[in-house]
Amino acid sequence: MTGPLRVWSLPWFFLYLRHEVLALPGRAIALLFLLFLLLFPLFSQDPYHLRVLTLSALFAIYAASWDLLSGYTGQVSLGHAFFFGLSGYASAILGRELGLPPGLTIPLGALLATVAGVLVGLPSLRVKGPYLSLVTLAFPIIALGFIFLFPGFTGGELGLSGLARLGGSRLQEYYLVVGVMLAALYLMWRLTASRVGLFFHAIREDEAAVRMVGVNTVAYKLLAFGASAFFAGLAGGLYAHYLRVAGPDSLSLFTSIQPVIWTVFGGIATLYGPVAGTFLLVPLLEALRVAEEWRMVAFALLILLVMRFLPQGVVRGVLDRLEEECPRCKARNAFTRRRCRVCGVTLRVKEVRA
Amino acid sequence: MKGKFFGFALAFLLGGLAHGQTLRIGVVGPMAFVQGEHTWYGATLASEELNQAGGIQVGDRRYRVELVRVDTNEITSVTDATTAVERAITAQRVDFLIGGFRSEAILAMSEVAADYKKVFIITGAALDGILAGRVDRNYERFKYLFRVSPNKSSDLARTSLLLLGEVVQAVRQLGVQRPRVAILAERAAWADPLVETASRLITTPPPQGYGAEVAGVWRPSATATDVTPELNAIRQAQAQVIYTILSGPVGVPFGRDWGRLKIPAAPVGINVEAQQETWLQATDGLGAYVATLNTLAPGVAITPKTIPFISKFQARFKRFPIYTASGAYAALHILAEALNRAGTLEADAVVKALEATNYVGPSGRIVFDKVHDVTWGPGYTTGLGVQWVGGRMQAFWPRDWRVGNQVVRYAGVRPYELPPWVVEAWRR
Amino acid sequence: MLAAVLVNGLVLSGIYGMLALGFALTYGVARILNLAHTAFYMAAAYALFFFLGKMGFLPAALLAALLVLLLAFLAYHLFLEPLREHEATVLIVTIALALLLQEVLLLLFGGHFRSVPALLPGFTEIWGVRVANQALLALGFAALVLLLTWAFLKGTRVGLAVRAAAQDMEAAELVGVSLSRAGYWAVGLGALLAALAGLAVTPMATLEPHMWTPPLLVVLAAVVLGGLGSLPGALLGALILAFAEVAVVNLVPGGAFLRTAVALAVLVLVLVFRPEGLFGTGFAEER
Repeated sequence: MTGPLRVWSLPWFFLYLRHEVLALPGRAIALLFLLFLLLFPLFSQDPYHLRVLTLSALFAIYAASWDLLSGYTGQVSLGHAFFFGLSGYASAILGRELGLPPGLTIPLGALLATVAGVLVGLPSLRVKGPYLSLVTLAFPIIALGFIFLFPGFTGGELGLSGLARLGGSRLQEYYLVVGVMLAALYLMWRLTASRVGLFFHAIREDEAAVRMVGVNTVAYKLLAFGASAFFAGLAGGLYAHYLRVAGPDSLSLFTSIQPVIWTVFGGIATLYGPVAGTFLLVPLLEALRVAEEWRMVAFALLILLVMRFLPQGVVRGVLDRLEEECPRCKARNAFTRRRCRVCGVTLRVKEVRA
Repeated sequence: MKGKFFGFALAFLLGGLAHGQTLRIGVVGPMAFVQGEHTWYGATLASEELNQAGGIQVGDRRYRVELVRVDTNEITSVTDATTAVERAITAQRVDFLIGGFRSEAILAMSEVAADYKKVFIITGAALDGILAGRVDRNYERFKYLFRVSPNKSSDLARTSLLLLGEVVQAVRQLGVQRPRVAILAERAAWADPLVETASRLITTPPPQGYGAEVAGVWRPSATATDVTPELNAIRQAQAQVIYTILSGPVGVPFGRDWGRLKIPAAPVGINVEAQQETWLQATDGLGAYVATLNTLAPGVAITPKTIPFISKFQARFKRFPIYTASGAYAALHILAEALNRAGTLEADAVVKALEATNYVGPSGRIVFDKVHDVTWGPGYTTGLGVQWVGGRMQAFWPRDWRVGNQVVRYAGVRPYELPPWVVEAWRR
Repeated sequence: MLAAVLVNGLVLSGIYGMLALGFALTYGVARILNLAHTAFYMAAAYALFFFLGKMGFLPAALLAALLVLLLAFLAYHLFLEPLREHEATVLIVTIALALLLQEVLLLLFGGHFRSVPALLPGFTEIWGVRVANQALLALGFAALVLLLTWAFLKGTRVGLAVRAAAQDMEAAELVGVSLSRAGYWAVGLGALLAALAGLAVTPMATLEPHMWTPPLLVVLAAVVLGGLGSLPGALLGALILAFAEVAVVNLVPGGAFLRTAVALAVLVLVLVFRPEGLFGTGFAEER
């Protein structure tokens, strides 16, 4: 935004839209995506399509939560399923033992995940880099061990089934999950765009330097763990109630690896990255059902090829072709422009004919 | 002109009646694995039989059967399975569902089926709780679920314990007064009640129990690749019999390591891997003499339909059918009969008709109980006890099984054989 | 009881040791956390199974090892080397590679278990414990391989370069070690070790397309336990974890399924007291 918001008015809104949002292909696409999500049911209410989009939305929350911790703060977590699955189980058990509705058990589960997040973050104070990643990897596996030790309480390898629904119909569930996703993304955006977010970036780049300046990196790292775990737990609770089952699948290595794949595919250390990654890969994997037994082979090959040629993620790769940075004022411009929209400098030097 | 028009219309109508409509049946399962594959094969065989006979008669219409292959990938991902089922119901518009394999996935898939009130006939998973506790407590929601195979876990337990009895008896005949039985059960919820039941039965004196001893209980992971520690411990505990409760991949390393180390204890019980015809190849030939319960065995006619089914299956698909194949085959025929009785495709009526099922299939007589599960017992479906002898799978039970005043026996069943090194080690 | 733990522990350490050393080499020198390492191990096992149907053991084993080596070089050259600066991307690429191998093998060989006949059938009794002869052969083979690798790393110039790069990349470059060449050697050696582990294990194990996941966890844990960048550390880590696993299975018969959880718990505990692993070199920030 250029300048503080003084008066809210419709003409101002349209000006903003035209000059700030639609001027850039990236932001225009984001707006279109938002509209698509909100208006999709007008085009199709096929429960299957709604299901795919709902799952994509809640996985987007999960992926974004991972990115918050691993992308922004650089504490690469390979065991994020711990928060995802723990929250699902907590919500299921609370619902079963105390009879509370999902509206209460899901946030409670997320809060429990937050506590777990801080606990997992504690070893990180001593352990760094790949060592930390391994420690995070251990947590969901140890949790699985506990689950199998007390099958009466946790349902063992079958999990807890018959969980309450999120809404009365697939359409209701869709809007609920999409709404929660937008709210979660907004919160994460506020967090990463604030001073706290700045410190996250800094800690990732050079933690020693940040500590030298007198910043309490311990507090910020624990905050990152807690916040990340909260959102992962939120996604986990929604997932359990959407599938109506909280099972050991939600704590598996595969579940830990998925947000990593989605986020890196879309673009790490950004918010659009995990969202783009999930909304591209989850429906793609569904669509690949037509390939039958070649489905996973095609999927893996696709990831390999895209990562090889767009190592910074799909969004960055695409935006770099659609947008250009002004050499003087660093503002981004659409690639079709010849002069920068902010400072007027020529973006492309015209060829001099000899 | 008018005459031509009427003639044309009449021909069209008659043609329409003759061609009839199609009934889309979703065959659900992990198609990359043998269990899903056989579900598809069994269903294919049944659908071809039905279509050759002119289709299924429902009311005054004949329906052709069309199978829709639904690969659930349930072994890897429960989410995938539920999405596949939802897609089958909404996008692929199946009318009925049969199949399923992994219990955890079926629990979730059946929720989706119940949401859409689609009849779902299960052919692959034994967990009691898929039906018990759901169909009885919430009949209106879960009445669309039925199970055709395998028998539920608690019934599998009863059969496998009868098999155990045979082997304990064989050991007794060597001169051992109180045989020692080691229990080797994979770490899984379905195995827990079996461990308890078995322990009690083994130690109870006859005639209710076997009057034997429990040498110990070992619980490897269902996906363990090495059970030599357990086997060594079983040997040190001086057990003569190993009661196996294994359904996961661990069955193969068990057979291989047991044979390689020549552990002097005879294995019997549930070992799903040993039901596969690739067993000897997978265990490197060392899995001989392993005994397990199974649904079908070569050359054993449980019902008049058994041998024809096996022959047809082998001729068509070049392999021996496993329980999901006979289950899917039976499921489709049962559905056809129920639709006949109901006279309509309307789900609630079909459910009522299914409840009245009394079908004789390749694996036995299928009659549903109060929770839509297969009834167990002589004259119904109990399964067989098989053993790998002479390079082949051979049935050893039931061979003069006395229940009340009934005696159950089938042609082609031979006596159980103890592994030679067990005889050598324990003969008195 | 103790005898069983000792014997089985040693055998398992041999296999894990080969895998861990290979993994440590790839990470230490090429800085690639190669999550497809155990997938190469699986590929070698399946390749051996395939070739054994057509020829004797030795030529089949050689062909299998060569095939995996080729695969590793191709993967490194085409996908991993060009992406070296993007650590997170490299991680995903190795995961995708492992997944690709798994699915291709599933397509080619199906989900059934396959087995390969043992080279040395039968068993031996040691201190009252029955051990498969093939397991003893595998242990001997592992010991030989590790010894040869050690000789190579200590006795040759290339080995010296590789060890130097593993300890401190910048310093090694300063004294004239070609990092790129060292990288290729490390990747090759790592893949070879994984392949050899696969060959050693195949006649005793059952092959199935998911067999790469459990050893991956143990290998990751072993390398971190021993300290990243330390090759002897990786071996020690493998030893400790192998024994931890075997101890759990033998001493807690009802708790055999907990063995991975226990191994990882051991890891977490060690890291709390020694955050850089047992012999870990503390990394200065590398740019």
